[in-house]
Amino acid sequence: MAENSLLTVADLDAGYGDLQILDGVDLAVEDGEYVTIVGPNGAGKSTVMKTVFGLTTYMDGSIEFDGEEISRLRPDQIIRKGVGYVPQSDNVFPSLTVRENLEMGAYILDSIPEERIDMVYDRFPVLEERSGQTAGSMSGGQQQMVAMGRALMLDPDLLLLDEPSAGLAPDLVEDLFDRVDAINDGGTAILMVEQNAKEALRRCDRGYVLVQGQNRHEDDGDALLADQQVREDFLGG
Amino acid sequence: MEASDVRRTLSRLRVEQVLGAIVAVLLLYLVVDLLRQLVTGTLSASTLQQYLWRGIVVGLIYGLAGIGLSMTYSILRFANFSHGDLLTTGMFSGWSAAYVIAGFGAYNLGNLLLVRPNNDPTPGAVGMAIDSQPVAILGGIVVAALFTVAIALAADRLVYRRLRKQSSIALLIASVGVAFVLRYLIAFVFTRSNRAVPASAPETTLDLGIASTTVNLHEMTLVVSAIVLMVGVHLMLQHTKLGTSMRAMADNRDLAKITGIPTERVVLATWVIGAALAGIAGYLIVLNTGTITYTRGWTLLLPVFAGVILGGIGSVYGAILGGLIIGIVDEVAIIWLPNEMTMAAAFLLMIFILIFRPQGLLGGVETA
Repeated sequence: MAENSLLTVADLDAGYGDLQILDGVDLAVEDGEYVTIVGPNGAGKSTVMKTVFGLTTYMDGSIEFDGEEISRLRPDQIIRKGVGYVPQSDNVFPSLTVRENLEMGAYILDSIPEERIDMVYDRFPVLEERSGQTAGSMSGGQQQMVAMGRALMLDPDLLLLDEPSAGLAPDLVEDLFDRVDAINDGGTAILMVEQNAKEALRRCDRGYVLVQGQNRHEDDGDALLADQQVREDFLGG
Repeated sequence: MEASDVRRTLSRLRVEQVLGAIVAVLLLYLVVDLLRQLVTGTLSASTLQQYLWRGIVVGLIYGLAGIGLSMTYSILRFANFSHGDLLTTGMFSGWSAAYVIAGFGAYNLGNLLLVRPNNDPTPGAVGMAIDSQPVAILGGIVVAALFTVAIALAADRLVYRRLRKQSSIALLIASVGVAFVLRYLIAFVFTRSNRAVPASAPETTLDLGIASTTVNLHEMTLVVSAIVLMVGVHLMLQHTKLGTSMRAMADNRDLAKITGIPTERVVLATWVIGAALAGIAGYLIVLNTGTITYTRGWTLLLPVFAGVILGGIGSVYGAILGGLIIGIVDEVAIIWLPNEMTMAAAFLLMIFILIFRPQGLLGGVETA
């Protein structure tokens, strides 16, 4: 693990109230890197994301972002540091228009950054076509784009994606992963939790396998895919 | 068709369809009867317009008061039973200011401040009408808003903020407590007497397209103020960052938080706007009813709530629409029903509408 990682999680314990889910998790994301976390249900994958973003009960360990400890910060402070977060579900404001959703993504700025909105529209042209439509009236795949667009409004250095392909029709999943690739190619580091483990590992630079709130394996995505143990445990042989 | 088919068809008819048919027939009958009364002259066109106008006046007040109630519901997630007493707060604070502005120096300051608890000086002597004391009347609107906001913010700080993470039932019960405290504080300060407040206003004629009727300038003041404020709320909600963040928070509070929206600041803004409108609504309704008493807001809460629920609780536009419907039905039903029964007709209509649209007329269409 490099000293100057963008995100360094060390020996992290966290959970909800008295319930501890994470037990000594270590994890790092380098500048511009694409990292995924896979593992069985209930392993605490989403909890890692939420903890990085300040949404769970922090218990012990450290979370450093860009050399600064952020484990005790609130979400609105973490956003300012350059972390964007896309929750798994309920991740758009349904009665707001697409454009208003994007504007809310930049709430902490004094004025609406038109150039960022244009950038999001460039990345997701369908959002420009439907900028005046309410987000709640769009398809699941389009809502996912709204949610990602909102998180990209502040041009984060690190984007946390919680199961972006959940609930999408199979033919849309490929397209979604292409878009995540494109965001990563633009220089944004990605930390992603995915059910669709094979595809996620194929796409990412590095992967972690999390089991029962603890690190089990860590390697390049392709290496994890090839690992016999990982295949048997989580990828269905 | 065989008997068994008929039976099967009948059993497939749902209760709502039967009810719907009954309501449709009833409404058709009322429309026909209304026309008959107009043609035969039992009811003059100008009387009908008079009823409609009065319905709009009262309905606009219900709507104005309902906006805050609906906002508190959608953003703070509880039914605020102290909202009626916020109306009373605006009533007394606003009229107190109006009397002080109009009668300062000429009359006993205590009597002015306490809104003539001993029936002295008379409204006519002070000239408490929009034509002779426009500054006092309009100044009262401002003070009603400011003072009610201060009271609502104090209640939020002392009570509601401590319960932010509690269930909406806990908040509801707490708001009943706040309602009682407010009501009896007002009774303690301003006494429990029921007294006349505004003087009679000059009349003017109005034509709503049906006939020409006389209306008074106080009603006009109320209608114009209510409409200006409603348009203001609409513009704020749809075209400002604050308004958008209020709608966002009504949509999904957790997502608002993780998007970086300062939710506590939105909550404060909700109280400020909701309480200001409640205070003004309370103040304005006195222009219409003429008298003031410490239980007035509490008794208004029921029709205001009915309007909010009818329109779709959580929707500001629903609150306005629902308030207007309740107000207009309450006034127009006098054509067929004795005075004591008209409000029952309004509530009956509310029940019918809720059977067909349990979420209310605009519920689920427009949030916040």
